[in-house]
Amino acid sequence: MLEKIQQQIERLKGLGAAYVDTRWVPFEEANYLLMWNGNLKNATSARESGVGIRVLYKGAWGFSASSDLTDLAGLYDKAFDNARVAAERVTFPVRLAEKDAITATFESPCAINPFEVPLAEKVAFLKDIDQQLNQPGVFQRVCDMAFVRKQIIFVDSEGSHIEKTITEAFSTMQVSGLDDQGATYERTFRPPRRGDTRGWESIDKALFSENAARIVKEMNQVRVAQECPKEDRSVILLPNIMYLQTHETIGHALELDRILGYELAFAGGSFVTLEDFGKLQYGSPRLTARADATLPNSPGSFGYDDDGVPAQNTLLIDKGLLVGAITGRQMVEEANAIAKRQIFKGSGGANRATSFYRVPIERMTNINIDPGQDGTLDEIVSKTEKGIILDSERSWSIGSNREQFHFGTEIGWLVEDGQVTKVVRNPTYKGATVKFWNSLSAVGDPSTWQVKYVDNCGKGQPNQIMQLGHGVPVCRFDHVTIGE
Amino acid sequence: VKERILHILRELRAYALDKGHEVALFYHEEDSYLMRFANSSISLNTNEHLIRLEITAFSGRKRASCELITDLGKLDEMKQGIDLAAQMVQHAQPLTYQPTVPVFAQSFADESCYDASLAHISNEDRLQYFNTASAGLETDQVKLSGIFSCGSNTIAQINTRSEHTQYFRTSDAQVTTVLAHSTLKWEVTAEQSARAKSDLDPAALREELAFLVEHYQTDTPQQIPLGSYDIVFGSAATADMVNFMNWIAFNGGSLKRGFSFLAEDTLGKKVFSDRINLVDDPYRLETFPYQRDYTGILRKAFPIFLNGVFQAFTWTQEDADEFSMQPTGHSVGHKSLVLSGGDRADVRSLSDLVKLPRKKDVLYIPFLHYMNIVNPSKGIITGSSRFGALLLKPDGSVGVPYNVRITHSLLDLFGEKVAWLSRATLPYNTSQSYGARNPTAIIVPKFIQVNDLEISHSNSSY
Repeated sequence: MLEKIQQQIERLKGLGAAYVDTRWVPFEEANYLLMWNGNLKNATSARESGVGIRVLYKGAWGFSASSDLTDLAGLYDKAFDNARVAAERVTFPVRLAEKDAITATFESPCAINPFEVPLAEKVAFLKDIDQQLNQPGVFQRVCDMAFVRKQIIFVDSEGSHIEKTITEAFSTMQVSGLDDQGATYERTFRPPRRGDTRGWESIDKALFSENAARIVKEMNQVRVAQECPKEDRSVILLPNIMYLQTHETIGHALELDRILGYELAFAGGSFVTLEDFGKLQYGSPRLTARADATLPNSPGSFGYDDDGVPAQNTLLIDKGLLVGAITGRQMVEEANAIAKRQIFKGSGGANRATSFYRVPIERMTNINIDPGQDGTLDEIVSKTEKGIILDSERSWSIGSNREQFHFGTEIGWLVEDGQVTKVVRNPTYKGATVKFWNSLSAVGDPSTWQVKYVDNCGKGQPNQIMQLGHGVPVCRFDHVTIGE
Repeated sequence: VKERILHILRELRAYALDKGHEVALFYHEEDSYLMRFANSSISLNTNEHLIRLEITAFSGRKRASCELITDLGKLDEMKQGIDLAAQMVQHAQPLTYQPTVPVFAQSFADESCYDASLAHISNEDRLQYFNTASAGLETDQVKLSGIFSCGSNTIAQINTRSEHTQYFRTSDAQVTTVLAHSTLKWEVTAEQSARAKSDLDPAALREELAFLVEHYQTDTPQQIPLGSYDIVFGSAATADMVNFMNWIAFNGGSLKRGFSFLAEDTLGKKVFSDRINLVDDPYRLETFPYQRDYTGILRKAFPIFLNGVFQAFTWTQEDADEFSMQPTGHSVGHKSLVLSGGDRADVRSLSDLVKLPRKKDVLYIPFLHYMNIVNPSKGIITGSSRFGALLLKPDGSVGVPYNVRITHSLLDLFGEKVAWLSRATLPYNTSQSYGARNPTAIIVPKFIQVNDLEISHSNSSY
């Protein structure tokens, strides 16, 4: 197969293609289990294979994909023809940043292949968790597991040949209950990534057991709690909501394709402009953010991106100052040319596709906030005069240029004069992105820092779902409107 | 092609029966094309031909599935999938209810929404469409974005309970054009949904774009004060809100799981304005309908709200099985929702809307970006305006507002605050390109005015 792929790549080069690459996925298998109120509603195994072909011709991209490999030449011809027509409407011819031709392999760390774990063992795990969640006050209980294992063979016309095997394991649990008016409240546990691997062993049964009782207790507290007040307070974001705040208002805002207008038809743009790099005070000096694709235990680490560029640890915001973006080969060239200065020194290695039948685009890797020096959660709370601690997203809505946001969380704990006073329900907060990050007044120490994963980040047309991560500490922001 | 697909499904059924497996087979084939524009270039031109086979095995109250992306030449792989699903089901846990394996009483085929000329529209035609829609509107600063997404979609079903098959084939196109200022960051849009090539009308799209671009280029943008406004929603915003209603209002499964703002005793009661009539109508071809559901139930027009009075919850077979209800023919990829037009015959276009006399400021919001549910039990949603909002002044002038956020209950948005609905309606394409192709549209009035809604955030720039 590899030989045939290389022959086709050479053939298209002979027809005038400036660049050709192929992602051949010999297999991608997935396994999803969902238990809802004790019912195994979903036990699904999935398998797919195929190739995706990307052709650059006269400054325009063409792409073609199929699971049917019987007419490989026809697929390459389709991709080439798509590029040929696209080349009829080009305003800024695509150029790719330089990279080395690489021959390499990558395997995500995995001690126990989840696909070798018997289904009965997985069902028993879910059943056990479900029984632990089946407590007074609980109306709905949901736990699920998802596993993915795939091999991606990347070959391009510049001489790269990279083989990757990636394994992922995800699991969550949630309970909901009703108040006396029949309104619903939820509490969710999405475990942090501990250890250095991401196979079956990363699903820690003891951790789920510890937290099952906690989320039931907290959900029952929320059911009978008072409504969140509508006022301005300091908000203290725990990692289960801090990761999403980071994701939506730093991660997406700093995807270079969004900044350059490539997502305007759907996902939206960014308030960030090319002039802002090196100048915009994105946040307070306590804020340092990075795109780190080298964390071993997170799905935002992948060895080499789908441009064939090695994974990197890229500084995005340095002590509040905007310095970097989430980038791939095409966008850095275009950005530097438009800005007439070298903002980006080569690709940041963040171009990824969700499957063989989608084209790579800029995706978050692990968008992390460095831990700070403001102590533990208790220490931050003790220094908060009038605040609210928030945890776990319930709703999230962000402006089309990521300039403003509105989040709802599952639970809030009011803080008065350094003491946690009571639980409130239906907490929400909102803000304008730059103002909000500049109100960052405390960043927790490493004891508060957790790696959270995202297994369903959507972007692009045709739409792509991507897995990634966020390493985040507890953070406090001042003068935030809550309760609207 | 149809006969080949059905032949293979019958062969797989025979294989399963021979092995003593009880299975249902769901075949999905898409031939998808997407031409994507950004910065006035074609940023991506792609096609995908994918065949998915979903095999669900049953054993008493146990159920398990195997999903393959495969092709018609891989019969052995499909048979292995049947064996895998049958193997998995032995280790599954029994449900507390009996899942229904449908028995198709007769074979059914529907290709009424298939138009070969749209399914096979050429690269050149799609490019020409965009060139016409944007002719003369692009500048060095105003750039074209958008998509022309089109393709064909085939679904076929069989199971071991019956030799009969179901077969659905559609073609569709979803067109979005966006003109955006590269430095000021304003953006306006016009969209179209098509089930046949003859539905495509790039000149109409151009007219809408030109109208909005003129205002965005000439009118001074402004941050509008927070507070209460009379708001006219365009079709995109309305369709999105109806879509959310589909999720957290009249879906029976959501009700039983505590995720609805309606209750069982809401049936027969007035929930919304008497101007609100919402029907699931599988005879409206613009919605790419299912005239039978996946269990073989013949679908008919299904009233949901009549004059604001709630008529019925919808029940899928799965939810009906779990909660001991009667299925209502809603085991489908999507409903065919039709929100009827109202009595306002004089507002057929945005130009008509702008010309209407008014006594106070009216905010026009064509599109709500990133809507989400803040509180399902109260029907509270939130989202931000996008793509060409206008502030219509009493003196007839038009302002361009920066984007705003609204956070309101659907009970308000479709309740007594509704002032009027335009008589003119259109199919708004709500297809998502997540996963398998599933062409979907909701028919909504072109404009709905809702009074006294609060703006909770107002941007200070684009």
